[in-house]
Amino acid sequence: MTLRLRLLLAIGISLTLLWSLVAGWLFMDMRRELQAVLDNRLQASARMVAGLIEQMPVDVLDVDTSQAQIDIATLDGLACEVSIMRGQITSKTLVRTQGGPDMSDTQPGFGTYRRNGNLWRVYVLEQGDLRIATADRMNVRDTLLQGLALSFGLPFAIALVGSLLLSWRAIGKGLQPFDRIRALLAGRDPGDLSPLPTVSAPPDLQPLVDTIHDLLQRVAGAILRERQFTDDAAHELRTPLTAIKTHLQVARLAIAQGREGGLVQDSLASAEQGAVYLQETLDQLLLLARLDSQQEPTEPQLADVTAAARQAGAELTAIGLDADTRIRLVQRTNAPLSAAIPHSLMVATLRNLLDNALRYSPSSTPVDIDLSQDGAHIRIAVQDQGPGIADDQIAKVTERFWRAQRDDFGSGLGLSIVRLIVDRHQGTLALSNRSGGGLTAEVVLPCAGPAQLNSPG
Amino acid sequence: MHVLLIEDNALVASGICAGLQLHGYSVTRVHTAGSADSVLRSTHVDLAILDLGLPDEDGLSLLRRWRASGQDLPILVLTARDAVAHRIQGLQDGADDYLTKPFDLDELCARLQALLRRAGGRAVRELVWRNVRILPDQGQAWCAGIPVSLSRRELALLQVFCQYPRQILSNAQLEDSLYGLEMNIESNALSVHIHHLRRKLGQDIIETVRGQGYRLGTAEPGE
Repeated sequence: MTLRLRLLLAIGISLTLLWSLVAGWLFMDMRRELQAVLDNRLQASARMVAGLIEQMPVDVLDVDTSQAQIDIATLDGLACEVSIMRGQITSKTLVRTQGGPDMSDTQPGFGTYRRNGNLWRVYVLEQGDLRIATADRMNVRDTLLQGLALSFGLPFAIALVGSLLLSWRAIGKGLQPFDRIRALLAGRDPGDLSPLPTVSAPPDLQPLVDTIHDLLQRVAGAILRERQFTDDAAHELRTPLTAIKTHLQVARLAIAQGREGGLVQDSLASAEQGAVYLQETLDQLLLLARLDSQQEPTEPQLADVTAAARQAGAELTAIGLDADTRIRLVQRTNAPLSAAIPHSLMVATLRNLLDNALRYSPSSTPVDIDLSQDGAHIRIAVQDQGPGIADDQIAKVTERFWRAQRDDFGSGLGLSIVRLIVDRHQGTLALSNRSGGGLTAEVVLPCAGPAQLNSPG
Repeated sequence: MHVLLIEDNALVASGICAGLQLHGYSVTRVHTAGSADSVLRSTHVDLAILDLGLPDEDGLSLLRRWRASGQDLPILVLTARDAVAHRIQGLQDGADDYLTKPFDLDELCARLQALLRRAGGRAVRELVWRNVRILPDQGQAWCAGIPVSLSRRELALLQVFCQYPRQILSNAQLEDSLYGLEMNIESNALSVHIHHLRRKLGQDIIETVRGQGYRLGTAEPGE
């Protein structure tokens, strides 16, 4: 149901209800008053007749001389009857209006009686031997009442319909700012992220307009970031793809030109290397996408950090880095170190940290990984002897697609992945330049709780 | 033809280098804008391939800088970003052509040939000089309708002469175009190649300008 219709219904129902009550009340009041006035008139008529008769000569009332009752023509619906009482029981009717009801058996005072199928309001006055009854036919009274009700009910009904029509217009006018905003929003291109033009809105609508503005701005920001990410991701995937394609074409060309041997072998090896980079970048992007969509591996939150470090080293060796000869693992406690994080994410974290350390330090220098426990936390420090990171860049390195300014493959996603994983698991990542040169990347993660330690798996 | 390749990714660069060399270009590969500047100052370059993502300077800014300083070298821009806005910006900033990664090596070479043709003021792929007809991008030549077999270097040298038909080319420029920054070149290699060209295509196809260098024979009734 539209807002307009709903408002109109609410207003219409309450108006009708209230006015009907008032009208009903007025009508009842008026009817009572009318009955009283008419009753008074009956009474006054009876008294008047009594007064007139009293002024007459006495013999008029001599029952013996008078003949049968006299009928007097009168207005329809009005009746009068004059009778004379004989003793306590019988009475003789002297005069009666024509067509009037027989009121000889009515009680003194006011009363309502049915005569010949009509209801009559009767007033009986007894004065000495004289008995005077005046009567009104009730349906005449009802007709009068109906006429009155109509004459003030009709204007009321017209006024009600009129006020409903006016309300409908007024509500429509009042809702126009909504319509303007709706039209503005409906007419927008989905890609259009510019702020809404200023809409003239009453003060109580302004918060809504502001909220829409705000929402649009936030959506624009999100879309911009998303676009940037897709652009960067495409770039990262295209570069190794270009390397693969070019080297394969070189190999084909070399074979076509009859240059077997060295060049062909080199090109194929380079293409393969490109494929390895491509796969790594894809893996990193997938991991990032999974982390972004909050998908957690269904593994227990329990990782043996030492085993994870060994696995990370082995994986790096497998893709051609000299991890096996350069990484020096130091564990400062004898007890196994269990971090509250799924094993695969622990490996991903360590792999990214070690990968960076190996790539960005001279191949002749070692990379140290230092594992220790400090209360309820596990501390992992990866130290290299490379050039470190300029202080003004340290805050930026965990941004997506940031990379050191040098000729290098690598997705530029490693540290942002580490940051995301660590944040998700109530840990911290800190990067600092060492005083003697090189970079320290320190990750602190909470220990796995005893309940998790005991859980199978 | 001496191509300057400015590309920061080693794996991509080595592929392009090998591919262009197989097509008869001599390639100098640098990975920063800074070294591109110094190569341009020290040697003659016929063409440049510029990747936009450079570590020390944005490729577009390098392009603008070069064009502002009057450098009219044909430049083909390579980029992994395919947004139309990027392409338009690149062309507006002075690029002669634009190729998106990953590209086809054959297409890259065809585009380089087209750039060279246009830079040399020609619109067709065929070079005709008297009764000599050359298809540079195919590596074929005919003298009086008979196919002539030219070595890779000879063809490259002929192409350089055709590229700058009315200019006198110094030994240094010819060597740069032919060998790029290769170090161990025989001192008489250039004159040997010129001698072979004259023998195969006629003595006056290349004129010697005493004390200055060489140029394509000036009489060109074939055109």
